[in-house]
Amino acid sequence: MDKIRLLLTVITIVIVVIPLVGMLLAYQNNLLGLFVPPEITEIADDLMGGDVDNGPGLEPPTMVGEPQYDEASHTFAVTFEYKNSFPIDIIVKSLTGNIECEEHRFPLGNASLSEPVSIDAGETGTMTVLGTWTDEAVNHFATAHADEENVDVVLLDFAVDISGIKLQLDQSQMEQTMQVPNPAYEG
Amino acid sequence: MKRVKGMLAKINWFGLAGGVLTILVIAVSMVYPWWQLKVGDDLMKINASPVNTNFGFLDASFTIPFIWALNVIGLLTLLLSGVAMIIYSIMPAKSFAKPLLDFGYKKPLYTFLFFVIGLVVVTVILQAVLSINLPLMGTTTSTVPIPFASGITLSLLLSAGFQWSFWLAAVAAGLCIAARLYHRKVATVPHV
Repeated sequence: MDKIRLLLTVITIVIVVIPLVGMLLAYQNNLLGLFVPPEITEIADDLMGGDVDNGPGLEPPTMVGEPQYDEASHTFAVTFEYKNSFPIDIIVKSLTGNIECEEHRFPLGNASLSEPVSIDAGETGTMTVLGTWTDEAVNHFATAHADEENVDVVLLDFAVDISGIKLQLDQSQMEQTMQVPNPAYEG
Repeated sequence: MKRVKGMLAKINWFGLAGGVLTILVIAVSMVYPWWQLKVGDDLMKINASPVNTNFGFLDASFTIPFIWALNVIGLLTLLLSGVAMIIYSIMPAKSFAKPLLDFGYKKPLYTFLFFVIGLVVVTVILQAVLSINLPLMGTTTSTVPIPFASGITLSLLLSAGFQWSFWLAAVAAGLCIAARLYHRKVATVPHV
């Protein structure tokens, strides 16, 4: 009985020690490799390989064309292009931002993505962002910019949800300036 | 008929069920993890169990060598425990049965507890060192610091949970403990 107990104890020690010692010997020249496999390094390199100025693998969307404005509903549409610099296909589920008058820093409203957009790895996708001027914004246009046909505004505080990963860019990271038609301009 | 009844009465059914279930747990755990964490919409996955732990990033799957070694230990420990429990359970009154029981009955429980403690420790370390709030169960949004990129906040949707194989392992561990408690009854059954 004691022999059986001894044998079982030896077996227990062997099955614990051999895998650990074997792995230590296999990685004796690269102990970090025991905990960080090459796949992690490759993925990190891929993700960090984006535009260096804008952080790891992240590039801000760029506006294309002129904003469209619907006078009746006070809504506007802005089209952006976003380059997927990640090595994977993504779905931009949402994109929101605040709009301010560039000259007076007056909050005019907010904008959000019209519908989710799928963008393949390395490709550039087009996203339409819709927004509505608040009543205060229309008043501001009427009082502060009455004689201007187009008004400079900034789109800031971008928040993007990419495949469940949410990215918030504060004012210092991204501020998109654009000209929008003045809804209060009567020419 | 009496002889068959006598043979069946000698078997420690808790131990037999526990041993078989322990081996079944090994097989199941190769495919179904005990605990799974998903980052974003399946962008990244962590499948963890004491016998097979792997990390998935989209289509790529990889393992960490140190964890692989621990998994080999877990696999062999559970395998030997299961085999010992089965042999013991069929012949619980034999002289070699008690050492086999002592060897086998605690290991599924220890493996189960080490796994849970390991998960808790990892989540606590991640919270303390990287300020990443990793849920053990349920869904949460965790803010991750991005080095060298001030002004950017990255929030990850994290959903985690224990899978059915985890509960199967809990049942196996429970049966093995029950086998130890039931041992006195079957060990004293006279041979027919």
